[in-house]
Amino acid sequence: MQIFVNTNYDFVKYRFVAVAFSLAVILVGVYLYWQRGVNWGIDFAGGANIALKFKGPVPIDRLRADLADASIQQYGKPEDRGVLIRLPRLHQEGDYAGQTVAKLLRDLNPGADPAKLDINYWGRDKLTELLASVDPDNKGSRADARASYSKVAENIINKRSEVGIFTNMQQALSAPGVTTGIARVLNERTYLGSFNVLDQETVGPQVGRELQQKAIWAVVLSTLAMGAYLWLRFDFMFGVAAVVCIIHDVCVSLAFLAMINGEFSLNIVAALLLIVGYSINDTVVTYDRVRENRRKLKTRATLEEQLNLAMNQTLSRTILTSGSVVIVLIALILFGGKVIHEFALILLIGVIAGTYSTVTIVPAVAIAWNNLTGRKHDIAGPAARPRVEPVPPREEPTTRKRKAV
Amino acid sequence: MNRSLWWKIGLIVAILVVFVVVLIPGVLSDEPIRRGLDLKGGTHLVMRVNVGDALRLEVDQASEGLKSQAAKNNLPVPTTRRINDTTFIAIPPAGISTTEYERLAKDFLPSFDVSRTPEGPLQFKMKPASAAAIERDTIDHAVETIRNRVDALGVTEPLIAPESGNRIVIQLPGVDDPARVKDIIKTTAQLQFRLVEGNPASDQKATLDSVPANMKNEVDVLPGTATDELGRSAGVEWYAVRKSVPVSGTDLKTARVQKGRLGEPNVGFSLTPDGGRKFGDLTGPNVGRRLAIVLDNKVVSAPRINSKIEDQGIIEGNFTTQQAADLALVLRSGSLPASLTTLEERTVGPSLGKDSIHSGVLAAAIGFIALILAVIFYYHGAGINAVLALLLNLVIILGMMAIFKATLTLPGIAGIILTLGMAIDSNVLVFERIREELRDGKTVRAAIENGFSRAFGTIIDTHMTTIISALFLLEFGTGPIKGFAVTLLTGLFASVFTAFFVSRVIFDITYQAQNRPQTISI
Repeated sequence: MQIFVNTNYDFVKYRFVAVAFSLAVILVGVYLYWQRGVNWGIDFAGGANIALKFKGPVPIDRLRADLADASIQQYGKPEDRGVLIRLPRLHQEGDYAGQTVAKLLRDLNPGADPAKLDINYWGRDKLTELLASVDPDNKGSRADARASYSKVAENIINKRSEVGIFTNMQQALSAPGVTTGIARVLNERTYLGSFNVLDQETVGPQVGRELQQKAIWAVVLSTLAMGAYLWLRFDFMFGVAAVVCIIHDVCVSLAFLAMINGEFSLNIVAALLLIVGYSINDTVVTYDRVRENRRKLKTRATLEEQLNLAMNQTLSRTILTSGSVVIVLIALILFGGKVIHEFALILLIGVIAGTYSTVTIVPAVAIAWNNLTGRKHDIAGPAARPRVEPVPPREEPTTRKRKAV
Repeated sequence: MNRSLWWKIGLIVAILVVFVVVLIPGVLSDEPIRRGLDLKGGTHLVMRVNVGDALRLEVDQASEGLKSQAAKNNLPVPTTRRINDTTFIAIPPAGISTTEYERLAKDFLPSFDVSRTPEGPLQFKMKPASAAAIERDTIDHAVETIRNRVDALGVTEPLIAPESGNRIVIQLPGVDDPARVKDIIKTTAQLQFRLVEGNPASDQKATLDSVPANMKNEVDVLPGTATDELGRSAGVEWYAVRKSVPVSGTDLKTARVQKGRLGEPNVGFSLTPDGGRKFGDLTGPNVGRRLAIVLDNKVVSAPRINSKIEDQGIIEGNFTTQQAADLALVLRSGSLPASLTTLEERTVGPSLGKDSIHSGVLAAAIGFIALILAVIFYYHGAGINAVLALLLNLVIILGMMAIFKATLTLPGIAGIILTLGMAIDSNVLVFERIREELRDGKTVRAAIENGFSRAFGTIIDTHMTTIISALFLLEFGTGPIKGFAVTLLTGLFASVFTAFFVSRVIFDITYQAQNRPQTISI
């Protein structure tokens, strides 16, 4: 099977329409950021995220009353009984999430016996300690006593991880290795608290600021490094066009992020850096072809014609490669779970923008540059402008000489 | 087949075997590919060590030292005041020249710069080198303390490392009780004073046997360090100490290094008013018995109670000056030399880790299979060639991760399949080139030859650009993002090898020159 064989599309003709369209998309993004501000995630803004899973119905009103300035939302299916809590930034450093969880433990488990252990919250270590101190199996001071209790405790906690949270004690008792003695300890000395902590994150204001700076530097520097590399490998015009192309791809991705009101997190920065590195590939392939053709072309050709030819020659490769990456990204978006979802979505937009900008933005910039600098990149035929000395490509100066004469 | 082709096949098979073998559990380790915190559950903490605590203590000790030296030299005792973390001023009584004090400071406070302020008082500022040394020691000590505590918990493969900005990064993978671990890291040391029963001995049983029968259930047997006559440590000695803790570290006000009658270093401490009353009640009726000073469940020393102690006491115990200083430091601020402040925490509970790895692997598998189907559908025979190269690429990425002990994170999984998507790009470049050459009327052999050689420069360029951005990810990224960058970089290098070398060898085997192939499935 083959697609896009011997095509002859006039990409260059549509470049102004494309530039207008891209500018429109970016302006919508700018407008949205100007209106709503950037939705910084806790990585950059500082603050805390806590994800909880509840044993029974989520006491959402209670949570809202308890944590007045937090944003609280249920996530997943209702039967998952999951809650995401986002706490705004503090101006002071400290164990923000930890303190909040401690407060919730007190407030949402009223009347809990302080002498009993909440096995929906605590893990293996505490449980091992409890079992070893009560010693229901009379292992006494044998060296392996603690190890064997630790094993049972691990089984119980693994069981909890499987079901998400214990909803009744029977689930805990069914873990492998639970003897009647241990079952008695579990029944008498532990209880099932109302929630389990799935994850918690705290980012202090200082770290947030630093991450923000690092992220900006990373994107800016990698863009410039890319431009410099391409300038060295090709020529200055192309370096400029590539940098504009990268900025375009990043801006479009950011505009999309604004449209879905997505959170600007570390993962998004990683996605942007990848877009910087990846979306340029199409452009490199295309320009590589321009350079190769320039060595082979016997007739005179304007830069517009050279670009069109190269883009048509590499079109099937461009579509195929982008297509295969898009397939992978769609799988990630659909099945990757909530952590990967936004990352993959932004990457998808970036890849599409990258392919699009290769056939629109890059030629637009290159042609504009060429016009400004006296059309140095056109291939001059025998009759054309003998006084304009074209820059000979380093590789094959001999071919060039033959044509220029 | 010619000789060089056999060599190439041999090389590929050898690489395949090596990377598959390192992935077998038990060859390199039981868990060939380390899972990151986000997949395994665990805690990532960044703590700031408040080194100011240690500096202030040092400054306070210096000003106290100056006063006591003044008294010893029959000079009027100046009043002193600390003005910041590294500086204090001394105000001599009116009419006394400051010169004498300056001379004293030169002898006794070598780590301070002395200067005269216009208003009269002397200013003592810690030398930058000394301050830096104290900061360094404080961080080292904090790292050491945290490591000991984490090790005692039995966390496997913890990472505890100092970072710039007086920070410590702590990573505890697989911990399913992060709240407890955090508690333990951040708790300052548990100091306890407990009465000793029976006699210390070099093994637990002998110690317990020496305890009167009616007391056997009232004691804990704790380890301590035995010392010989010269004060050198001589193995472990076990002490039976009472379970009740009448006085603890919270009852202490201060502690400092002192000199005993023979000049030997010991640690003097003073108690809060409440602590003093409790200490009096403990020591009064027990004169002549031994009192164990227990720190983090280890017996530091067990001196004999010589008299009733109420407000202050001395801990003697064959200390070297360093040991005495350490102990004093530990008593003052718990065994952490300075307090810790949490700057960043990322904790993933074990159940979320299970969920993530499940959906991550599922997405990766679906993406991979879709990719394989698409490539085979489009390129037929050559597609199978690309898929083989891709599979080898996957094995190399995973094998490299196992060899370099890189950590697989959730974005890392995304990175792997994304890399595979990019690896396909190299194959596509080559295949499209071969097709072009065929359209130009080249023979199969020539088309393969030209396809590979013409695509080479382009492939290097596309890889270089992505490598540049991956290097920036590595430099600026944190935690899981770093893991992502590592997998990406590994994959990029592997993809040049597989798409270029391996894929070429497969073509060479399939379409051998001497068979004069007329058609190619591409």
